Amino acid sequence: MSIILPGAEPFYFPGGDVGCLLVHGFTATPQEVRGLGDHLQRAGHTVLGVRLAGHGTRWQDLARTRWGDWLASVESGYHLLRPQCNKMVIMGLSTGGDLALILSTRFELDGVVTMSTPYQLPPIPTLRMLYPILTPVSMILPKLQKGPPDWRDPEAAAARVQYNCYPLRAVREFGLMLDTMRTSLPSVRVPVLSMHSLEDGFIPHSDMGRIHAGLGSADKQVFSVEHSNHIISCDAARELVFGQAAEFVRKLASPSG
Amino acid sequence: MTSIIPGGEPFLFPVGNSGCLLIQGFTGAPEEMRWLGKHLAGQGYTALGIRLQGHGTTPADLTRIRKEDWQADIEDGMAWLRGCTTRQIAIGLSLGGMLALNLAANDDLNGVVVMATPWMLPPIAHRLRPIIPLLSRFWRYRTPEEPSDWVDPEAGASNVNYPVQPLHAVGQVVDQLEQTRSLLPRVTCPVLLLYSEGDLTAPPEHGETYQKKIGSEDVRLIRIQGSGHNLPRDAAREQVFHHITNFVNDVLGGGG
Repeated sequence: MSIILPGAEPFYFPGGDVGCLLVHGFTATPQEVRGLGDHLQRAGHTVLGVRLAGHGTRWQDLARTRWGDWLASVESGYHLLRPQCNKMVIMGLSTGGDLALILSTRFELDGVVTMSTPYQLPPIPTLRMLYPILTPVSMILPKLQKGPPDWRDPEAAAARVQYNCYPLRAVREFGLMLDTMRTSLPSVRVPVLSMHSLEDGFIPHSDMGRIHAGLGSADKQVFSVEHSNHIISCDAARELVFGQAAEFVRKLASPSG
Repeated sequence: MTSIIPGGEPFLFPVGNSGCLLIQGFTGAPEEMRWLGKHLAGQGYTALGIRLQGHGTTPADLTRIRKEDWQADIEDGMAWLRGCTTRQIAIGLSLGGMLALNLAANDDLNGVVVMATPWMLPPIAHRLRPIIPLLSRFWRYRTPEEPSDWVDPEAGASNVNYPVQPLHAVGQVVDQLEQTRSLLPRVTCPVLLLYSEGDLTAPPEHGETYQKKIGSEDVRLIRIQGSGHNLPRDAAREQVFHHITNFVNDVLGGGG
């Protein structure tokens, strides 16, 4: 009888003085960053995962949202977690990484981890052609089915909770959010770790380099992952990704070490 | 630039294994539940005040909302609260009370506190409901003209509330009220109903109807004097906090 899809609930794991705010991607749910949250909790941190507005229920709900609603969901999570910790890091997968970067320019944060995060619209010719008129197009064609999955780990594929389509009206919002993310990049000052799969079949690996180049941060690192699809926090290379994220947080929490 | 306005921020005071989910009212903000949250935290209870979607930002965001979005917000709040507590109750003001009862019918709660939740909206809202989808296309916002019932003018002036009500969202409140009413027989946990004699939106008679319709054996109705609709902020708030604390002590068996 719940509105939220089973497994798509947000989460809170109380722990130590370092807080990690976890943000999922477009059309996905907190499920895709929950494993990362578990790992960070075991490392002793306080972890909060948000559910973005319109996600984890029905795709029609996402079609009604604007990207400011997604950002407000992240801000809500920020306000809940901030008083619980001394240092705070925000981590986002895909679109969650874009929202994390935007948030870091407006709120007090100590670090950002972006995973598989897009710099621009994915290189799908039809999408780029239709993008300027997506709002009217969405009235006739409200959604596009997703392509075939490309998971390396079949168990991770089976555990996935997401929409199986892209609501086109929300794709327009995704593009508008990217515009703001790109103009925000030079204002990002905190340490940033970016991770991306060399085999990402959705958002090209080269987007990581473009984000890296645009960042205003003095302390910025990139890490490339192999043997994974776009969802690097769930697919076969996840333990490597978790380890990198935890190491980034450990260094921030104890700058001398 | 941020999306959430001052006072629109949700809050979490994690202090004990028993938790209270605090739910704001229509066009209000988490701020109206914050004093109550601080009070409960002082008594040893974890308090989580959520922001309902479309609230705490701009009224335009409320024009795109469905009642299921608010129900999902409540579920979000429960998921977070369950992460740091073992027993939970829900406390809601006005629309928040409808959502708290809605939750209690579908979820395992130790108790519910309902403050100033109307049994009926003004008859015009119910009558116009079928044509609101059409009407709201050219009449997007209504400006409430009802007289104010605040007793504490300072608390009223500093309250965070949209100056307008999107007509579409009023329709969602009507729908939520009807859904909540239909679920009342399934509410079986202890319920505390708090209603103010001076409330122009939901007078104590509304509470009496809820008392009759709720399925629980244990439904307590307390009438508050010297307050308007906004019980957790207005002049009688200390009295309200006191009654809620007693109820919470009773159903959760003491703080911590």
